[in-house]
Amino acid sequence: MSRITIPIGPQHPALKEPLSLLLTAEGERIVESTLRIGYAHRGLERIFQNRNYVQNIHIVERVCGICSHVHTTAYCQGVEALLGLQVPPRALYLRTLLCELERIHSHLLWLGVLAEHIGFTTVFMYTWRDREIVLDIMEELSGGRVAHAVNAIGGVRIDIDSEHIDSILARLDDLERQIDTFLGVVLHEHTFQVRTHAIGRLTAEQARRYCVVGPVARASGIDVDLRRDEPYAVYDQLDFRVIVAHEGDVWARTMVRTMESVESLQMCRQLLRNLPDGPLAVRAPRHVPAGEVISRCEAPRGELVYYIRSDGSDRPARVKVRTPTLPSLAALAEQLQDINTADVPAVLAGVDLCIACADR
Amino acid sequence: MTDCLSALFSLLIFPGFAFLLLCALAFQWIDRLVVARLQGRVGPPWYQPLADLIKLLAKEDVLPTEAHELACAALPMVSLAAVLTAALYIPVGKHSAPSFEGDLIVVLFLLSIPALAYFLAGWLSGSVFSVVGGNRSLLQYFSYEVPFLMALSGPAILSGSWSIAQITAQQSHAPWIVLVQPLGFFLALTGLIGKLKRSPFDIPKAKSEIGAGPLTEFSGRKLALWQLSLHIKTAVGIFLLVDVFLGGASIGLPAPAILVFGIKALLVLLVLSLVDVLYARLRIDQLVNLGWRVLAPLALVQVLVVILIGVG
Repeated sequence: MSRITIPIGPQHPALKEPLSLLLTAEGERIVESTLRIGYAHRGLERIFQNRNYVQNIHIVERVCGICSHVHTTAYCQGVEALLGLQVPPRALYLRTLLCELERIHSHLLWLGVLAEHIGFTTVFMYTWRDREIVLDIMEELSGGRVAHAVNAIGGVRIDIDSEHIDSILARLDDLERQIDTFLGVVLHEHTFQVRTHAIGRLTAEQARRYCVVGPVARASGIDVDLRRDEPYAVYDQLDFRVIVAHEGDVWARTMVRTMESVESLQMCRQLLRNLPDGPLAVRAPRHVPAGEVISRCEAPRGELVYYIRSDGSDRPARVKVRTPTLPSLAALAEQLQDINTADVPAVLAGVDLCIACADR
Repeated sequence: MTDCLSALFSLLIFPGFAFLLLCALAFQWIDRLVVARLQGRVGPPWYQPLADLIKLLAKEDVLPTEAHELACAALPMVSLAAVLTAALYIPVGKHSAPSFEGDLIVVLFLLSIPALAYFLAGWLSGSVFSVVGGNRSLLQYFSYEVPFLMALSGPAILSGSWSIAQITAQQSHAPWIVLVQPLGFFLALTGLIGKLKRSPFDIPKAKSEIGAGPLTEFSGRKLALWQLSLHIKTAVGIFLLVDVFLGGASIGLPAPAILVFGIKALLVLLVLSLVDVLYARLRIDQLVNLGWRVLAPLALVQVLVVILIGVG
């Protein structure tokens, strides 16, 4: 059978961000794939070295368009560790609240993208409609739908009153009903299952070899979650389950992410109900002592690592970001091998790539 | 002279080109509106399909240098001509179409020409996506066409006539065929969804996989003609099912024929819209499996039942 080369990207309807995949197909079967990345490289790590610590919060927020808050959380956490700051509990609660809201929004957005890739437009429309609930809450809290500018070194810049808490709790109930509907689709809709079962499979061994993190790893049976394994912010005070599945295919990832959204919802409720009183921030010293630190957070896509080195000046000597998408990109070739061309968008969606994060 | 005029009228105005165009646009609007409302969207205003058509007609028409220019210009016209010709033999409301024994077969043949034109368009328009889409459309054609043909032969065998007008006329004093052959109606509807490349069988034009499939490289007037032929095919396909399975304009009550016919057609359209909303797109191998392992045997059973019980 003759071979044809199908280009996916840098611009393609299945891609929301630029990425280039050259697929060689025999008929409808993929025999080879080549990946090119770097289209969204903005030289951010170099820019970090030219700005002072406070200015950098603004840049860090713009590494990613979906999980912007978790990036500033990881960054501020690192700088706070360098400074030896004790962040007040109310600030940590609000930080965590935004992190979990962001996770729900990211997972819903992802479910919509997957649904659209397998031609299930209705689920796409529903998830993106209901994601607006989360976006509205985040906008009310911070003034921004995507870039929140909530974190500051030493605390947060927003506050919330009890009336607002009640209104958010009421809307979270609506959201939970909607997520239950999506869970029903994932579990019971036949066409959804035949398009996601047994494709893009990664075994636990493969996942471990590629150092895959986050929901993709958890869907392959690797029980990792920084929120439980190495709690930061106030995760040690929250009660939640880490969702793990064992199939390792796109369907398992869907399950993990959808059920994780429900867990995040529960966490948001706990955070809002137990929000302690107290100051929102502590004053940060003017000088960052020389030293280095590694700060880790569980982003919606998995473990996010910030390495910050200070030489005692007002600018960091080096900020290195390691995003969860990177290992997923490496594991992509394995998942694209020997599948149907029609399954490529589903596999691509399944790993939930964030190219802007990975390229920086 | 009057004969000539009335022939021209029926060819160009009703139930000919103008009427079909109107139906195609109206059905497209209703379909888009219903789907949008079911998906929690607002949906387009009534003139949107017309505006889209005019916009496309006015747009620049470009083709890649690899494309076969003559074929790419001719194929959308062939496709449109085939569906318009097929429409001639399908009675709409009380209007009696020029019918002859065997016109059902002619109509089915004419309705399958667009599928072949679509495949050729993919093959000749010089893009990888359109070649893959063309291959898929041909595979899809082989999967839905057999059950579709068999499902439509059921009513013909039952009525003892291969003329659509005859089959329709017989249902005015007998139960509608959908009541006698519900399985056949279901299969014909499934086949029609495959024919119209609607979700869940929108495989050849799966946009997240292969752009717009065979039509990826088409633009301007050619794309407008393709879309028009698809939308007229939707109307013609629905009219065909209404005539063959739902008794055409007959309802057993004194009511205007065209109104009854229109309501039945809208109901079929509504079913198509609902199916569109409810499912994810299948993969081509899954469709081939479905077509040959489920739909074709079911169609065979339906035909056998008609032959053994209905006639005997």
